[in-house]
Amino acid sequence: MSYMLNVGAHSEPNVEVHKFYSGTIIGTVLLALVFQAFLHKYGRWSELIDLPLLVTIYFGVSRRNPVSGLFLGGAIGILQDALSHDNPIGMYGIAKTLVGYLASSVGARIDTEHPLSRFGLIFLFFHFHQAILAVTQRVLLNHSAPFFTLHLFIDSLVTAAFGVVLFALLDRLRRNS
Amino acid sequence: MMDTFSRHRPLALLATVVLAQVLLLAFQIKRENNVRLIRYWAVELMTPLERAGTWTFSHVGGIWSGYVGLRNTRAENERLRNDVNTLRLRNRELESESAEAHRLATLLNFKEAHTEAPMLAAQVIGASADPTSHTLFINRGERDHVRRNMGVITPDGVVGKIVEVFPSTAQVLLINDKDSGVGALFASSRTHGVVKGSGDPQPHMDYVVNEEKLQSGDAIVTSGEDRIFPKDLLIGTVEATKPGNPFQVISVRPAARLDRLEDVIVLLSQQELLPKKTEEASDTNDVTPTQSGAQPATLPAPKASGVVTDPNKFKPAATASIQSTVPANKTPAPKPTPQR
Repeated sequence: MSYMLNVGAHSEPNVEVHKFYSGTIIGTVLLALVFQAFLHKYGRWSELIDLPLLVTIYFGVSRRNPVSGLFLGGAIGILQDALSHDNPIGMYGIAKTLVGYLASSVGARIDTEHPLSRFGLIFLFFHFHQAILAVTQRVLLNHSAPFFTLHLFIDSLVTAAFGVVLFALLDRLRRNS
Repeated sequence: MMDTFSRHRPLALLATVVLAQVLLLAFQIKRENNVRLIRYWAVELMTPLERAGTWTFSHVGGIWSGYVGLRNTRAENERLRNDVNTLRLRNRELESESAEAHRLATLLNFKEAHTEAPMLAAQVIGASADPTSHTLFINRGERDHVRRNMGVITPDGVVGKIVEVFPSTAQVLLINDKDSGVGALFASSRTHGVVKGSGDPQPHMDYVVNEEKLQSGDAIVTSGEDRIFPKDLLIGTVEATKPGNPFQVISVRPAARLDRLEDVIVLLSQQELLPKKTEEASDTNDVTPTQSGAQPATLPAPKASGVVTDPNKFKPAATASIQSTVPANKTPAPKPTPQR
């Protein structure tokens, strides 16, 4: 496992870009969506983890390409919206597009391989994602969605902890460069 | 430009994708009243533009219509002013003609109602130059068989008598002239007296004893004893009375508007006027015009008659109605002063 230290914008061309076996990204995304839908059947605890968000963050920071990150995030979000029964298409799409873009941009600048930094990134992206959702719901749907609650805080911790483990598993799908 | 786009391509793409999804959301979301958000936004976006466009067009239109389009307004205004003046003049002429027609119709109706008495319609063409003399000139004279001492009346009441006759005109002495005198009696009590001019606008009735009970508004009619006016023509009404020595001083309000005379009737004889209902008279349409032929033949017949025969039913001149041909009980009165 290679750790990337803080690299500036001038050193971007030297950033290490992880590649995956063909079909890995698509398969992982679909599995994440299926599991997310599947886990919902098993009660409240499954809602603690946002698997599509974790996948978006992971492939964003791994690919380190903002364009592919935003498209991947957008696609995952729209699929997540499509699988939900009452979300208008685009609600999660917007949030995950921004998360994918930011994750790709951040992945090119800071260390995203260390478990602690991953924990921190996931924690922050979770709340950023929630903030975008809240803004979108407030502005577009006239819903009073919360920006931050204790429940969300616990969710973010659980998701971040789960994400560190998930990211380590997904690292095994990387193709050796 | 292309360099800038290439450098910020990811950001531009992000903005595009997010915007596309926002629009996608807006297309799905419905606000209150079931209006899609995209339409709501479109209206919110377009309304200020439309408002600005409307404001601009209205002001430009206002400038156009208020300044540029007013090039010919001055000339048009002048033309319209002239039209208004012309129409105003024409309106006055028509009003005057209408009033004249009404007066002539009244005269004609009166004449038709009294076919038994020869009479002649005449127009007032002038008045006396002497302010103390209450006379006027009419457009009938010797050629129209007008003679001295013929009575002159209107449908409202007695006017005066002919004092001078010229070939085509005649002078009329009004009943309020100081030299005038008309044999008169009260329509209710049949008490006799003489209505004389005093130089004032209002004539007086003389030779009525103080014991005679009079009320304001009592009708005064001709007695026929002056051999000028037939009997029972309305002269006027009592306006005010006060005791005098030896007779009452009675102020009379003439039934005819002596200060506004325009058309009068000359009585060609002292033939007594028989009262007739104006409705019956107005049914006759084939009117024989007077010698001048001035009167219209088909004018409506106003309800007016200066003949008073039933003192109990007497009303002021304009509404006086003819009820009976039988004169009321006569009461002896002091002998009146003869007509001059």
